[in-house]
Amino acid sequence: MSHDDFSRRAMLRLGTSAVFGSLVARWLDPRLAFAAEAPKPKAQACILLWLNGGPSHIDTFDPKPGRATGGPFKAIKTRAPGMMLSEHLPHLAERGDKLAVVRSMSSKEGNHVRAQYFVHTGYAPNPTVVHPSLGGWTSARLGDAQAELPAFVSIGGPSFGAGFLGVQNGPFVLPKGGAPPLDVALPAGVDRARFDRRRAALDAMEDRFSKETGEPKVEGRRQVYAKAVRLMQAPKLDAFDLASESDTTKKAYGDSDFGRGCLVARRLVERGVKFVEVVLDGWDTHKDDFGRTEKLMAQLDPAFAALLDDLGARRLGGSTLVACMGEFGRTPKINANDGRDHWPQAWSAVLSGGGIRGAQVLGATDDEGGKVAGPATSVPDLLATMSSLMGLDPAHSEMTPVGRPISVTDGGAPVHALLG
Amino acid sequence: MRATALAIILGLAACDRGAPPPALPRPVATVLPPPAPAAPALLSSADVDARLRVEWQKAGVTPTPPASDATWLRRVWLDVLGTIPPPEVARRFLADTSADRRARMIDELLASPLWADHWTEYWDDTWMGREARAPIVDRGAFRAWLHDVLARNVPWNEVVTQLVTASGVNSEGGPKKEAYANEGKVGEPAGVNGAVNWTLRYLQNPQDMAGSASRTLLGVQIQCAQCHDHKTEKWKQTDFQSFAAAFVRTRLVPLDRGKDMADVKRVEVRDLDRPAPRFAKMGDLDAVMKARPTALDGTDLTTSPDGVRAALARWITGRDNPWFARALVNRMWGHFTGRGFVDPVDDLRPANPPAAPALLDALAADFVAGGYDVKHLVKVIAGTEAYGLSAAPLAEATAKSDPEVKLWERFRVTPLGPEELLNALVSATKLDAIVRATGRMDLAQIRYRVRQRYGFLFDVDEESDAGDYEGTISQALALLDGGVTTAGASVLPGSALADIMATPGDDAAKLESLYLRVLSRLPGKDELERWTAYVADAPSTPAPAPVMRKGKKGGKGQQPDPLRRLEERTAVEKGSARVHAYEDVLWALLNSSEFVLNH
Repeated sequence: MSHDDFSRRAMLRLGTSAVFGSLVARWLDPRLAFAAEAPKPKAQACILLWLNGGPSHIDTFDPKPGRATGGPFKAIKTRAPGMMLSEHLPHLAERGDKLAVVRSMSSKEGNHVRAQYFVHTGYAPNPTVVHPSLGGWTSARLGDAQAELPAFVSIGGPSFGAGFLGVQNGPFVLPKGGAPPLDVALPAGVDRARFDRRRAALDAMEDRFSKETGEPKVEGRRQVYAKAVRLMQAPKLDAFDLASESDTTKKAYGDSDFGRGCLVARRLVERGVKFVEVVLDGWDTHKDDFGRTEKLMAQLDPAFAALLDDLGARRLGGSTLVACMGEFGRTPKINANDGRDHWPQAWSAVLSGGGIRGAQVLGATDDEGGKVAGPATSVPDLLATMSSLMGLDPAHSEMTPVGRPISVTDGGAPVHALLG
Repeated sequence: MRATALAIILGLAACDRGAPPPALPRPVATVLPPPAPAAPALLSSADVDARLRVEWQKAGVTPTPPASDATWLRRVWLDVLGTIPPPEVARRFLADTSADRRARMIDELLASPLWADHWTEYWDDTWMGREARAPIVDRGAFRAWLHDVLARNVPWNEVVTQLVTASGVNSEGGPKKEAYANEGKVGEPAGVNGAVNWTLRYLQNPQDMAGSASRTLLGVQIQCAQCHDHKTEKWKQTDFQSFAAAFVRTRLVPLDRGKDMADVKRVEVRDLDRPAPRFAKMGDLDAVMKARPTALDGTDLTTSPDGVRAALARWITGRDNPWFARALVNRMWGHFTGRGFVDPVDDLRPANPPAAPALLDALAADFVAGGYDVKHLVKVIAGTEAYGLSAAPLAEATAKSDPEVKLWERFRVTPLGPEELLNALVSATKLDAIVRATGRMDLAQIRYRVRQRYGFLFDVDEESDAGDYEGTISQALALLDGGVTTAGASVLPGSALADIMATPGDDAAKLESLYLRVLSRLPGKDELERWTAYVADAPSTPAPAPVMRKGKKGGKGQQPDPLRRLEERTAVEKGSARVHAYEDVLWALLNSSEFVLNH
């Protein structure tokens, strides 16, 4: 067995095994070997507000009032000099000093599935390997396998998994914010004593099968089950329950699944969860773009703003990176259905906290909002910026099952202008 | 994922009146008789065994002993039909002492109507993936087409030709339809060709279609060359572009006239003698649009009068295509044994040489000679000594160890795919009968809901050869506390456990029935003793009053979650301590590695 062969297999296997946890933790600790030019990691956690379907940049973060392509919304001033946002984002405008709005995002992926994959993983889809999402990388390299709560939680959607880093680093999925996770409560009619008896019965089955077959997967399953039971009984499970939050707080986030999801995200980050994605779906506005985008902004605006306030009040703003984006932008041209179609050529992403310098607009689009004026920001560059703030060196690579080293993004480099 | 959608329903229907299970009435085309038996002098399992023994000898590895009949039976049901055997089948097979019992069982499986269900799942997943759910794509129609060609065992070259050259009309899809399509409740209107949905899936991505075609039909990973010249292989970016050029020559004619384009769901797919204008707007396709359609070996695809796609299909399925037969043989071998000759199964290339290449070549030649008969291939593979070996490794002292088991000298253990697991759970618990007995719920809806809720949770990478079990907390939770295992392991009316409890007999007889149903084997003496004591010692105080789970009764315009209703149904069911103890035993069986793994 060649050395390379050994290391790639060992890497993959050890990465999944708690037995070698400490050894691997050191091996994988990115802080030990960080490329010189990468920024210092400042974020302990990342919250990704995912605007599924591809929001119209022109109607949200890159307004073009008065232009033929601008639509009916007015632009309003923000706390950041020169930064204008849609009139339907008044709460965020108030917090413009905390935001970095990247208006020069540009990609080639105009198909939902491909673009969602690209923006989550930093790679265009390629059937030879499944690339890990940023959440997956975070779980694999920064997560604590012994923690009560999973390192990567997705609220309101399945998100994207950890690819070749293994399903155990994929997201723990919560169907929607404010609801308890599926299946953590004991089934009706089964109390703790009966559950323990059941587990003892299961142990007997496992012992016998393991002895008979020598199958190593049995031990792997035992570990996963132990984790699941730990989660069922975890004191930190209260993160998912919003009952202890005041009405004022709940109201600030807004009465929506997305708002409750953002509040849960804050509670998870407080309890040490490393990566939380909260999904707001419905931005694929081929029809009635303005009506629908306005309604979606009415959910996004208070939730995003309250999240920033809350993190700030808890002194978590500096160590929590908040990112907000979808898979692409939408056409400047307004179609016959009052809608806008897919537009990956130019779109916006918003970053805040966790080492991001606020009160800035990076890049710009032309007058119509159709092309990036000046240098464009690529998806890999954006993700590399986020990953390096998290302490994941974008230059670090890991061996895939097909024997090819893969780094966190497809050649992305941190955008220094975004850093504080 | 290896899966079958509703095998269970069939399987359980069979349980009620004895195997083999009857055919579910299908709305699809008339079932034609299978093609005439192929030419004689084809390979047999014994021929494969002889060749493999030579390979083992050469490599100095020792095969494990044969797996027990019970283990083999469960394995072959899962791999051929995607579910576990009904208890009557297990009982009958375990009592069978004839020398050819395994061969006869394979014949029985190949003739089962579950065959088409299982392989419809398999190919639907391979070709359409998880995500192909655009409004214009009707997966129900695609599956109906697949089911029809698989049920008739249409020769593989013909199936692929139909897929690649598919023309005609699709029908309206959507999630609601999908929910029912699996259960055979939705018929396809006359004149619909479900095969066109593969082309429609790639409406905007002809490059992906080219990549998928070369990967799934030929086992060749050309798509790397989409972005750059291949570093180790011969493909250049221009080769990819010329190949992809064969996939841009279809036009779509909308059939729902008078609607906005955004609302058009029904289209007709037709061949076009030039690149379709709809791709012209996509800037990155310029090179593909300009390229001359060319096969991967340089064959010009533009010279036939019947069009580029017909020429492409002829080239793909041609007898002299070096990849076509090998790719399918390798894929099937990998499906059954856990590892293809070439691993991963769809990465045939010089730098990734096969194990036992002569055997791969022989099987591929046999596949061609036998008229591309997939059932014959499966019969040969499932009948081999290698497929029937034990999964337990030999002691170090007696065997030279090969940790990667590259030569199949031991059976490779894999987790059940999501559909297989769901099928096995329903078969083991009679969940369908539980649902029926409640009178108000719909199994189709429950299965759809389970698939939605848990499908992605149990997504395992079949091609991953990690020795460790890779599972998630969510998967474990779903089995520990989820509605399917909770309801399934209860004595609700109609359930497997209720049947077993109602059948006269002592604990040993009940445990035997339970084991045959869930694990397809008889309990060991140690197990009979343990569980008999467990049942006898069960706490005499009844379990505490069940607590209704909090849950919304469905929001505005939403159907109440049928899975939740099922859980709540369980909650009101009371039982004696003895019944609870049996429920606990069944629960432990359903959660066991022995149940969750294909071993």
